[in-house]
Amino acid sequence: MSLLITEVCAGAIAGGTCILYAAVGESFSESAGVVNLGVEGSMLVGALAGYAVTAEAGNPWAGVIGAAVCGAVLAAVHAWFVLSRRSNQLATGLVVMFLGLGLTSLFGAAYVARTVESFSAWDVPGLSSIPFVGPVLFRHDPLTYLSYALVPAAWWVLYRSRWGLLIRGAGERRHVLETYGHPALGVQYGSVILGGALAGIGGAQLSTAYANAWFENMSQGRGFIGAAVVIFAARQPFKVAAGAYLFGAALALSPALQARNVSIPILDNQFALASIPYVAILVVLVVLGRKRAAEAPEGLKAVFG
Amino acid sequence: MTTIAIAPTRVDVRPAVLAVLRWIVAIAGALVIFGVLMWTKGANPLTAYSSMFETLTRDTALSGIVIKATPLILAALAVAVPARAGLVNVGGEGQLVMGGVAAARVARLFGPGAPGGLVLVGMAVGAALVGAGWAAVGGLLRVRVGISEAVTTLLLNYIALNVMFFLIYDPWKDLAGGGQPTSPAIPVAQRLPLIGSGSMAVHAGILVALIATAAMWWVLRSTRWGFKLEVVGGNAEAARRAGFAVGLLLIGAMAVGGALAGLGGFAQLAGTEFKLRPGFLVTYGYIAFLASWLARHKPVRVAVAAVVLAAISVSGDSLQLDSRLPAATVNVLMALVLLAVFGWTSRRSEA
Repeated sequence: MSLLITEVCAGAIAGGTCILYAAVGESFSESAGVVNLGVEGSMLVGALAGYAVTAEAGNPWAGVIGAAVCGAVLAAVHAWFVLSRRSNQLATGLVVMFLGLGLTSLFGAAYVARTVESFSAWDVPGLSSIPFVGPVLFRHDPLTYLSYALVPAAWWVLYRSRWGLLIRGAGERRHVLETYGHPALGVQYGSVILGGALAGIGGAQLSTAYANAWFENMSQGRGFIGAAVVIFAARQPFKVAAGAYLFGAALALSPALQARNVSIPILDNQFALASIPYVAILVVLVVLGRKRAAEAPEGLKAVFG
Repeated sequence: MTTIAIAPTRVDVRPAVLAVLRWIVAIAGALVIFGVLMWTKGANPLTAYSSMFETLTRDTALSGIVIKATPLILAALAVAVPARAGLVNVGGEGQLVMGGVAAARVARLFGPGAPGGLVLVGMAVGAALVGAGWAAVGGLLRVRVGISEAVTTLLLNYIALNVMFFLIYDPWKDLAGGGQPTSPAIPVAQRLPLIGSGSMAVHAGILVALIATAAMWWVLRSTRWGFKLEVVGGNAEAARRAGFAVGLLLIGAMAVGGALAGLGGFAQLAGTEFKLRPGFLVTYGYIAFLASWLARHKPVRVAVAAVVLAAISVSGDSLQLDSRLPAATVNVLMALVLLAVFGWTSRRSEA
């Protein structure tokens, strides 16, 4: 039993990290008042770019950079349409996602069956041998370790730094920012693009560290889950991380149970198990949703109606 | 500050010629970008475009477009009706699939010996009800809990797909299907009849789609319900003060949309595919979403936009055959066209 718990918790970190990157990125975007459902597209583009650059350059870190750039470019498309052309945020995000889906199937076909020299797990000396904590936290790929630093860093930037004040100000009262001579539009652009870059890195984690493969539409809604996590976590990085790991755990539960031949009626089917993360997030949204919706920045309330 | 998703009474003082010109520039821009993308993949854009165009002039093209447009029109109306009330229904994908699943369930319930007409009506009703219910979840969560219907309907898409996978890989699997994960084909007598003849033959689902288009045109334009939806979409607070049951209107709009998408799933199953398979109506929901936004949610224009996107999709088959690009490549063109239209035909930024 304790082995099962360790396995699920370790799986929560492994499977949740890509959602974590996307969701932390989306926290920046939404704090600045822009909902980017294209985060799913940024993640897909990042997953392919990460995989393809790793394949061509032979270095997964080059892949991470490529993924961040491509994710950011796609988010910049979203930013331009919603910020400079005032198109509907939700609809534009969806179209950007669809664009990402099409682009990755166009450019990704060549990489479907390729194997690359991707990230491998690296046990942190000493820490990885601590009982329970070691296998759960310290036997992962480098991008996962990086995400441990990302969460407090994002929290500090958003809630303790001058930058965060500007970002949240742009989301709440952009006209106030403009009155005081701050470039609200530039801050919003920066936040959305940063969000896309992080989603792209999340995609690279998915393809070059978690799955070690590229296939069409491989993110399977993880970017959308990230966007949903941001809603109930109210854009707070630590809560976002908890939410992302919760869905990682939902993902990890099924293989762990199957490996033990544990049979629960209906849930012993792989597709029922595959639905768990989506059902789980809907349930969490229902439980926490109303309170969170009231806390949303003014700029977001207009989007979500 | 209010973001208005639709602009029903848009006062445009610019001459119509300029508007048409903008559209042409937008679409030409999309074609150029798509051409460059094809070129980077080693395909000659000019030959690719000419073979796409050539595909559309073939005898079989028209029926191909109509068959493809049938579920697209219905799923696009499923976006348009909630959009009238200011809702963003991104769940067309799941609502189509659940409609197909419900139709298949009804056909199983009746069995292969039952009279075709009766089974078809039963399938349509079942598909509409299940589609409505699936979409209403998004409306209910929006009204009761305050979560964006865009997020919930997206998540429901993945659940719907898993429901179908579960059924066709296990309890409904066609054991005579050679190991393929499909449901058994519905008997010939219970399929939608063909209309037209020869290469022009299409299944009767297009009639369902056209009737639905006319009905939604009338409902949104001439009924009290349609009027109330428009008021809610314009200003929900004003509608609430006027004593409208805003919550019920929103849930109702989602349910009607879901019923239409459900019918799309039914038409695809009973008219084109006859069995559920893993790729059943994949990406149709998203293409339909593009169609509705392309046409600013006006039912007749939405149907036209759905037909145009169906034509692009059919012509895109040539990309796979002649230019050896992946089948989904044409989705890039559709997304670019819509982005171009968003970027070029929307009002300028206030900033």
